Amino acid sequence: MGLFDKLRFKGRRVLVVGLDGVPFSLLKRLSEEGKLPNWTQLMESGSMKRMNSVHPCVSSVAWATYMTGKNPGKHNIYGFVDRNLGSMDVFIPTSRDMAGKTLWEILSQAGKRVVVINVPLTFPPREVNGILISGFLCPNIDKIAHPKELAGVLKEMGYRIDVDAWQARKSLDKFLEDLHLTLDKRIEAMFHFMEREEWDFFQLHIMETDRINHFLWGLWEEGDTQYGPEFIKYYQKIDGILGRISAMLDRDTRLIILSDHGFCGMKKEIFLNHWLQREGWLKFREENPKSVKDIHQESKAYSLIPGRIYVNLAGRESSGSVRFPDEYERIREGVKGGLLGMRDPDSGERIIENVFKREELYHGPHYNEGPDLVAIPHNGYDLKGNLDKKELTYKGPLVGMHTYDDAFLYIKDAEVGTGNNQFGVMDVMPTILKLMGVSSPEDIDGQTLL
Amino acid sequence: MERGFTIWFTGLSCSGKTTVSQGVAEELLRRGLNVEVLDGDVVRTNLSKGLGFSKEDRDTNIKRIGFVCKLLSRNGVVAIGAAISPYRATRDYNRKEIGDFVEVYCKSPLDVCIKRDVKGLYKKALAGEITNYTGVSDPYEEPLNPEVVLETDRETEEESVGKVIRKLEELRYIQPAAAAQYSEEEEEKVKKRLADLGYL
Repeated sequence: MGLFDKLRFKGRRVLVVGLDGVPFSLLKRLSEEGKLPNWTQLMESGSMKRMNSVHPCVSSVAWATYMTGKNPGKHNIYGFVDRNLGSMDVFIPTSRDMAGKTLWEILSQAGKRVVVINVPLTFPPREVNGILISGFLCPNIDKIAHPKELAGVLKEMGYRIDVDAWQARKSLDKFLEDLHLTLDKRIEAMFHFMEREEWDFFQLHIMETDRINHFLWGLWEEGDTQYGPEFIKYYQKIDGILGRISAMLDRDTRLIILSDHGFCGMKKEIFLNHWLQREGWLKFREENPKSVKDIHQESKAYSLIPGRIYVNLAGRESSGSVRFPDEYERIREGVKGGLLGMRDPDSGERIIENVFKREELYHGPHYNEGPDLVAIPHNGYDLKGNLDKKELTYKGPLVGMHTYDDAFLYIKDAEVGTGNNQFGVMDVMPTILKLMGVSSPEDIDGQTLL
Repeated sequence: MERGFTIWFTGLSCSGKTTVSQGVAEELLRRGLNVEVLDGDVVRTNLSKGLGFSKEDRDTNIKRIGFVCKLLSRNGVVAIGAAISPYRATRDYNRKEIGDFVEVYCKSPLDVCIKRDVKGLYKKALAGEITNYTGVSDPYEEPLNPEVVLETDRETEEESVGKVIRKLEELRYIQPAAAAQYSEEEEEKVKKRLADLGYL
């Protein structure tokens, strides 16, 4: 880069590292225990605050909210799966379903050059001024990048889209090996593009933290002597990476690190459709239903993961039978009351902490497609959407689950001008735009934190 | 060949018909469809050159655009008509003629349209310099059952475009974007990935 370019970029470059599912409280604890030296050093030269995620707090919704600065009622992403209202087929929402311009599209339009690697919900890659390597919803490396030709470079590098999480159910050692290799390849790709490309904005997303949390969090928490230390070792590896990145940045480049949600140990999986069926809200046409396509027309409500409850609404669901506003409201009240009273059959503990009505969470043109209720569980109870379960609860190999109020935002050499949990993931985008001197679109919901 | 159909934008002058119809056209082109836009202002310089603004001339203009939309639609093209088309009966005539017809009402209060006044014609109409101007000195009959209503004074362009695209998907005129992203095999692969993580 020539001197002239350097002057042009002055004070306007931002590098973001996304650490999927890493809690504020975990980093604080490990840092205080002296296990993350680079992180501790970063804390001294920047500001970190505890941040709220979004409901429901899964990566696709949270990162869509981050990259558009909008609530799901506007960006239209409510989960990893959704239903087609015409056919009731279940599908996986992708970047094409996401309404609204992304942070990198806005920057591209403003003439900035961007490099974006591995952010969830960026598949298929939408066009940017620069490079976009999409995330784990990409099925095939040939389709992963904009521009397309980069697939060749990535293949040569041995780049990996995601870990094979199935391995965790068979051998945690193999899973860990995969986690390390996938992270190594991701970082190799990052430095490759960081050094070779011109950029004003760079974002690297590390998905592997979410993956290790899902399968090792509980073991670490319980003090497992074999996998507890492996868990810490992995976070120390990431600490080392953050140190390397930080050392490479010049003074005119702001470093931002954030997560999209927190994590906690999981006691049990809770099958909400089983509960809805038991309570008479849901009926199936088949004995062993495979998808929401198999729900009976007389059903009043059904659930999609995690904790999304939909009234079977005539005129919206093709299978819908609930016609009148007073019936709709009666169902919502009934389901909400029942959920709040639901208890763990073994311990007697309450399972659901809160139930939101959609108008409390969402607004915008895609409001009507969103869930009518969103149930928020107490930590430890992970709400699932399976349809064929014969029990309410299950304890399987997944030992970690997401939390809403324990994400974080770190900005180097700047003050996040608000208190812990006084802001959310949708506020980061306008903050970045402000740092880069690009004005925010008027229709976003987030507000700058500077 | 893909199934053709007509999207018909109606609404007052400066209510956003041209802007949103262009956005919709771009999105459909991006999805690989054949698209043709017949914009009222453009059509009046060729297909309907010489026609005025009497009720009769307006009806002739709208029926001509409708006729071309019909020909295009039956040949697999997505025809987009964007014209004030103030009379309900004429729009309904086109709907009946074409069959696969999606009416999009660009609803924007008259005072907002007057404020926008991109072509400066409201000003002239209000000053009495031009006559037969819809909304000022000529009627506009709102659609009773349009497939889509766009409140262009409250929505962004992109939201309005999104609403039209969603409706087309819902009506199955176009494939939902998601379904088009994956082959069956790929979808299974991604679903398995999600299931292995407990996300499905």
